[in-house]
Amino acid sequence: MGFILTTLIFLVIGIIACFCARICCNKGPSANLFHLTLVITATVCCWMMWAIVYLAQMNPLIVPILSEGE
Amino acid sequence: MELLKNLPEMDLMRSEKMTFVQLIIPVESAHRAVSYLGELGLLQFRDLNNDKSPFQRTFVNQVKRCAEMSRKLRFLKDQLHKAGLLSSALPAVQSDIDLEALEIQLAEHEHEFIEMNANSEKLQQTYNELLEFKMVLQKARSFLISGKSYETAEGRELEENVYPSDYPETASLMEQATQSGQSNSTGLRFISGIIPKSKALLFERMLFRATRGNLFFNQAPADELIMDHLSSELVEKTVFVVFFSGEQAKTKILKICEAYGANCYPVPEDLTKQAQITQEVLSRLSELETTLDVGIRHRNAALHSIGFQLTIWMNMVKKEKAVFDTLNMLNFDVTKKCLVGEGWCPIFAKPQIQEALQRATFDSSSQIGIIFHVMDTVEPPPTYFRTNKFTNAYQEIVDAYGVAKYQEANPAVYTVITFPFLFAVMFGDWGHGICLLLGALVLIAREGKLSSQKLGSFMEILFGGRYILLMMSLFSIYCGLIYNEFFSVPYHIFGESAYKCRDDSCSDAYTVGLIKSRDAYPFGVDPSWRGSRSELPFLNSLKMKMSILFGVAQMNLGIILSYFNSIFFKNSLDIRYQFVPQVIFLNSLFGYLSLLIIIKWCTGSQADLYHVMIYMFLSPLDDLGENELFWGQRPLQILLLLSALVAVPWMLFPKPFILRKRHAERFQGRAYGILRSSETDIDSEPGSARKHDEEFNFSEVFVHQMIHSIEFVLGSVSNTASYLRLWALSLAHSELSTVFYEKVLLLAWGYENFLIRMVGLAVFAFATAFILLMMETLSAFLHALRLHWVEFQNKFYGGDGYKFQPFSFAAMADDED
Repeated sequence: MGFILTTLIFLVIGIIACFCARICCNKGPSANLFHLTLVITATVCCWMMWAIVYLAQMNPLIVPILSEGE
Repeated sequence: MELLKNLPEMDLMRSEKMTFVQLIIPVESAHRAVSYLGELGLLQFRDLNNDKSPFQRTFVNQVKRCAEMSRKLRFLKDQLHKAGLLSSALPAVQSDIDLEALEIQLAEHEHEFIEMNANSEKLQQTYNELLEFKMVLQKARSFLISGKSYETAEGRELEENVYPSDYPETASLMEQATQSGQSNSTGLRFISGIIPKSKALLFERMLFRATRGNLFFNQAPADELIMDHLSSELVEKTVFVVFFSGEQAKTKILKICEAYGANCYPVPEDLTKQAQITQEVLSRLSELETTLDVGIRHRNAALHSIGFQLTIWMNMVKKEKAVFDTLNMLNFDVTKKCLVGEGWCPIFAKPQIQEALQRATFDSSSQIGIIFHVMDTVEPPPTYFRTNKFTNAYQEIVDAYGVAKYQEANPAVYTVITFPFLFAVMFGDWGHGICLLLGALVLIAREGKLSSQKLGSFMEILFGGRYILLMMSLFSIYCGLIYNEFFSVPYHIFGESAYKCRDDSCSDAYTVGLIKSRDAYPFGVDPSWRGSRSELPFLNSLKMKMSILFGVAQMNLGIILSYFNSIFFKNSLDIRYQFVPQVIFLNSLFGYLSLLIIIKWCTGSQADLYHVMIYMFLSPLDDLGENELFWGQRPLQILLLLSALVAVPWMLFPKPFILRKRHAERFQGRAYGILRSSETDIDSEPGSARKHDEEFNFSEVFVHQMIHSIEFVLGSVSNTASYLRLWALSLAHSELSTVFYEKVLLLAWGYENFLIRMVGLAVFAFATAFILLMMETLSAFLHALRLHWVEFQNKFYGGDGYKFQPFSFAAMADDED
């Protein structure tokens, strides 16, 4: 549940970023497509990073064993 | 698919469309046209006179004159520097100074300065001599007075002896003797002079040896430093006086003086004469001083007046030389009234070029217009990307590996994001990221000032990459938040940790460990992991799997870009027999591995993925047992293995055979063409046929395809493993950071002593700044770059084009600096 929710949050942030890019620097269709590509790539990269780390911790096989001196 | 076809061309994706043009320029407007084109900077001229030596070209005289003028300008600039004046460049009033008038002016100035310099040198030399003379006079006086006292004492003795005598003749004889004895009474003569202090000792010894000890050498250091005109440095000098007797000694001493560079000045013995000469010398010195002063001021004024215009003139001469060099690339046509030039220009620039040419025609009041039309050619066009200051740095790092072939997909489009992202995966620490961000913001804020300055080579590279640094720092902050490392310290920013003790006493926290009581930590790595004994096994497993996932994703992106390339170049052969088998091969092996990783994470299964992958190859038909992750895994694995095995000959064999068949068809058609008519221009065939041999070398094509396939197959294993450097570097960074934090800062902070704490803080700061911020940044930059250049780009990039280098004054100014 938390996974899907946060994925949706990433999606929404991505869409908002696309709109911001379109509003801030609207320089013709080819430049717009380029900016869109950049925003989508960045969103996908960030989402992948988060998702990998989240999935890895969902069902962990080992647990933290505190070391002496903590 | 329809939507994809209707999309506009993306900005940086493919290089600008270029066209080959021909210019026919009448001679009177040639110079003006070329200089207007230089200001525009969008036309690359082809050198039509490549086979001629520089001296056979048309405008060689003008080029020589420009070179001569720039030599004179450099001389003037040198003079300016030597005088210590700075050439202040006034914002140029671009008055159209005639080049020939400038030439004459420069010649005049140069002559004037050479004369002034020669004169002032002579004056300076005279001044030095007089100064030395003055010093010799001052010091020698004291020597001579003491010498005099000896003489007068002896003279008095003689006189006393004389006077009681009654014989006037004897008295007169004696008197004569005493009189001549004043110069020769003790047979003593002297030479006075001045010599550099360093040589004084050797000089004295030499004199001693030469005169066999029959001399008296007196010396005293001079008060002031004197300018040695040979070395133009201030040296210490010593005044000396040598008393000797005899003619031979005199010649010897004079020769030795000359050899040692000692300057001899005659000092009269008479006190009054000495005083007189001293006065003269002093007055002449002050005269000379004023003369020299006036001379220097005059020269400085002259330099000042031209100093303003020096930069303008230099730019003008540079531009003129560039224009003549370009004119040398053009050919005269048959009538000798027009110049013909050929070159490349982007299609969007054609109207601008035409407008510039029209202006040139108008401005030079020529009757004939300049002809500008498109030509066909078989040469591949140059590659031109229109970048802004943000994308320029990325395009440069892509070009450093290889310039894109004309109109193939440009990896820079994705590199803008993925390069800083992969850097951040290896650098992830939001404390260090903030430091990098501050640095990048400082560079960007002072952009205007720094871009006009001349920077050192290291600063220039750093300044050029300021936007890359900005992106790297932003992504590093993001990845640092995910890895939960702030100078290696984790924080509970996103809520509570998911782990807690099994019971309230926390007794077995050190043996069996904590237990997962809540949902996974919502953003990033759980802070409980830091410092635990099982931290490394967990993080290593996480990061290695993450590297594989990113690697497979980026490689798939590369293969998809090769698909877009094939679509663009309408190469359906490549799609069917290269793209499809490549996708199948990569994804049935490593895509499947990625899938297994994700399934294992989602289900929490204990399956050993190494085992699964290896036995998929070794014994695919065996039962999986406890390594089964999902239902139907075994048949799926067999299917994937078979697909991968089929994909290899699929990418190896069909393409060469089909190419041979196509060539045979074309060749067959051509044979008929040749029989039909000999007037048919063979050049009307598509360009590629003209370039290639009639022979289709099948073995060459086959070997090429084999190399390509083997490279891909083996490369898919090695490249996937290569992405593990993402894990390795991020581990190294994290460990270094932990060591500096725990073993330096915490250790020093543990002591109560203020001094030790400060020292510890300083060592921590230096270590962080130099090792983590500089060395690790460079290291992660390099590895991210390698991942892009090799693992990403070898899936689709040709990189064998050449860059568009237009004739442009702006680019030339950058080049010169």
